[in-house]
Amino acid sequence: MIDGHVPAIRIAGARKVYSSAPWARARIAVEDVSIEVPEGAIHGLLGPNGAGKTTTIKMLLGLVRPTAGEFEILGHPSRVPANRAGLGFLPEQPYFPSQLSATQAMTLYARLAGVPVSERHGRIADLLERVGLGRHEHARLSEFSRGMLQRLGIAQALVGRPTVVVLDEPASGLDPVGQRDVRNLMMGLRDEGVTVLLSSHQLSEVEAVCDRVSILDRGRLAAEGPLDDLLNVAGRTSVRATGLPGALPATVVALTDDVAVSGDVWVFSVLDADVRAVVDAVDDAGGRVVTVTPKRESLEDYFARLLARPSAEQEVAS
Amino acid sequence: MIGRLSAIAGAVFMDAVRRRVVYVVVFFGAVLALAIPTLPAYGMGIVSGIYREVSLALTFAASMVLVLALAANRVPAEVERRTVYNVLSKPVRRLEYLAGTWMGVFAVMGGAVAGFTLIEQAVALTRYHDPMWRLWEGALAIWLESGVVGAFAISVSAVAGPVVVAVASLTMVFIGHARDSVVGTGGSAMARALYPSLDTFNVINPVAHGSGIDAVYAAGMMVAFVGWVGVLLLLGVVAFDRRDL
Repeated sequence: MIDGHVPAIRIAGARKVYSSAPWARARIAVEDVSIEVPEGAIHGLLGPNGAGKTTTIKMLLGLVRPTAGEFEILGHPSRVPANRAGLGFLPEQPYFPSQLSATQAMTLYARLAGVPVSERHGRIADLLERVGLGRHEHARLSEFSRGMLQRLGIAQALVGRPTVVVLDEPASGLDPVGQRDVRNLMMGLRDEGVTVLLSSHQLSEVEAVCDRVSILDRGRLAAEGPLDDLLNVAGRTSVRATGLPGALPATVVALTDDVAVSGDVWVFSVLDADVRAVVDAVDDAGGRVVTVTPKRESLEDYFARLLARPSAEQEVAS
Repeated sequence: MIGRLSAIAGAVFMDAVRRRVVYVVVFFGAVLALAIPTLPAYGMGIVSGIYREVSLALTFAASMVLVLALAANRVPAEVERRTVYNVLSKPVRRLEYLAGTWMGVFAVMGGAVAGFTLIEQAVALTRYHDPMWRLWEGALAIWLESGVVGAFAISVSAVAGPVVVAVASLTMVFIGHARDSVVGTGGSAMARALYPSLDTFNVINPVAHGSGIDAVYAAGMMVAFVGWVGVLLLLGVVAFDRRDL
């Protein structure tokens, strides 16, 4: 339960062990992974290749049999097919029956998702338009480019008006405009109250749209929590100043050890307790403080630092 | 459930009928049907009986080729290319996926067997001025048997690749028609009853050289067909349910 509410997605104690034969050495793909995603949030699932992201998603969707663990969508076991009625899924690099047209494929998925006949035609046309395939509705999928198949994959994931959407690398194969469209689409879904679980290698995308992230490493949960809590550097403040005559005041230099300068703009960080003194020193030197914000690491830096540790200890932000 | 089954079957049908293999097999079937009257046996004056026999054999061989081409690689390819994820992540049971796939293949086979039979009828009408309506009784038996072989192929393909499926399916057809050789015509009734025989669907003799099959025999064929397909798909679902995709 999250604040008394049933989470949209709940994974508890997920474990998957692959073994090709009883005598063969078992390979642990996922070990004790627990994730809760509240309704209406965008939750990022990150990790290097082979970290267990896709296996975790597949266990949630009933595509892989878990060795252990509980998997729920809106409080109901997700491995029961009927409980996936409100779920949309975009697999990584989706493919479709190549001899069908876009409309025929969407009709198939709409029927499987239980979209009523009366709504089907309009819903399919709207979605194809929304993902930029409106002019290709009758084209055969064998003629589609990689990016077009990705867009169709997104459309099929949304065809059943899902309340929970799982997207595995949604920006894969898309050009920069397409990637921006996907970001806007995810934020639009959040505005509509749809919960999104986003698995991605594109950290800038995750940083731009996600409220919380879970980071997997070697099958285990290495870090989990709201992005602000994970990336904000406790006890330090970032100061951006301009108009300084050639150099930082000596008082500031003594208080900081990371200074970056670009043209007339100086960026540095200091301990929270030193902010007042630093602002006064910049003023006294004739400069102007532009911003004072909590120091925040980039997700890329955080990710690299986390995974560089010899053994990823669990790091959970509240 | 019916809606999901028909949705999957419809998609499989639409996808399959646009594949070149269907038309290539039907084309060569037509060429061979046209060539039947040139066979040496015709010089001996045994005309219509042999024509029917060879036509049914041709339809059977072509339908086996086609059903394996359509069914052996259907599930493995969908798993390999991950198209199955788009289906099974929705509220669709694996039973519905396998049964719907089988229904789609079976529907294509119905069209193909009907096509073969129409071509053979056209040749018969042109060459012998006889439409040979009895060929449809044989076509029904062949279509039903192709459904059984299709169910076997799809069930095996739930856990094996296309080469294994093709070899296993051909072995199944061979064994299915070898009861008299294996058990012997004088073998025990129990052994004959338990043997996985497909001979029920072999109606070449009554159709080609006799007076055809009656309604009771046709009903028996239907019962055997339903039993075979039901058991095979059920075994396939049990295996597929345990598989990680």
